[in-house]
Amino acid sequence: MMSGCPGSRTMTFAKEDDAQVPAGKVPSQLRQWPIQLHLVSPSAPYFQGADVVLAADCVPFAMGDFHNTYLKGKGLAIACPKLDGGQEIYLEKIRGLFEDAKINTLTVVIMQVPCCRGLASLALQALKESSRKVPVKSVIVSLQGEVLQEDWAAA
Amino acid sequence: MEKYLRTPIKEIIGKYPPVGALLEEYRIGCVPCSVGSCLLADIVEIHNLSPEDEGALMAGIAGIVSPGQVVALPEPRKRSPESTRKISYSPPMTALVEEHKYIKRFLAVLPAVLDRFDARSEADRALVRDGLDFVRSYADRFHHAKEEDILFACFDPGLDILKAMHEDHERGRAHVRAAGEALARCDGEGVAANLHGYAGVLEEHIRKEDEILYPWMDRNLSTRQVGELFARFRAVDERFAEDRKKYESFVERLEDAYAEPISEVK
Repeated sequence: MMSGCPGSRTMTFAKEDDAQVPAGKVPSQLRQWPIQLHLVSPSAPYFQGADVVLAADCVPFAMGDFHNTYLKGKGLAIACPKLDGGQEIYLEKIRGLFEDAKINTLTVVIMQVPCCRGLASLALQALKESSRKVPVKSVIVSLQGEVLQEDWAAA
Repeated sequence: MEKYLRTPIKEIIGKYPPVGALLEEYRIGCVPCSVGSCLLADIVEIHNLSPEDEGALMAGIAGIVSPGQVVALPEPRKRSPESTRKISYSPPMTALVEEHKYIKRFLAVLPAVLDRFDARSEADRALVRDGLDFVRSYADRFHHAKEEDILFACFDPGLDILKAMHEDHERGRAHVRAAGEALARCDGEGVAANLHGYAGVLEEHIRKEDEILYPWMDRNLSTRQVGELFARFRAVDERFAEDRKKYESFVERLEDAYAEPISEVK
């Protein structure tokens, strides 16, 4: 019988070590530094007019092709809605992305665990409070990296 | 079967009429389409059927065009199950669908307006003039211009589905022009016939856009393009803001005067 928080429940995923994977190095699609939401600034040049991904910390580890599927050609900020402090600062930063950086779109990629929904809620709250509206897409990723849901939010 | 996938649908339906009826079963309305140059393969892709429906449709077509023969059917396209037939619009498409709702509300009340229309009454003529102004300004200059000047420009203009949409717009405009001319000569029958004709064209056109065209476009637009479309639509909305309020309240007043609000299109 399972109990406790699904976000911290212990699980093991059986994998075949010799499973077929493409040969050669997979190049990084990261175009900036820093990436942590407390460290980035909406005034950074890589955010101006950009398509931006706001990813929960666990997403790039769960999702094998995160770089090519979501990061390619986009600005990035990462955060954990469960463990990070100062989330009111996050709210202001995301609003700053909409209003000051005048980003083109925001794609919020979160894990399927309930605590991760907080990041999507934070982005939508910032959009609601923003004077400038931008399309926001919400993507939910399973613990094994499958995209479970991908929807545009009402702008 | 490969040969038929690369054949314009009207040619297939012309040669094998039961194919048209079979497509209708899957809510693919190629029979009344006035263009019909879309290839069968493109139609299957645009309508985003489930793999099961796609397989059954292709088997049905094969049975009609090659009866009694064993035909190699194409593999249904691979896609995520939730993407099939589930309509979830991006924000710019949502904006267009919202505008459609006002146009549909106008079209829904139009028969009642035309039933009571007396071409000898100046008040009735003024009301129809306002209706034509709504159609020309809100439906055409505001909404169709967003589509033709901004949205359609994201796609290859040679696409048959876009040609069909342009042709619907032109047929609608021709009805409106003719209705305006009939109104100027106080020809009540001419006004009614052309506005009923306009309603027929637009109702079907909006259904095609809401259910087929916009979802297909959303599947093919990049995130970048969605953001750019959204910003360009907002700029048009800002320019048209005052007029938009005026025309939307015109529809509401018309509903109050002529009919109960049409709840299912709100």
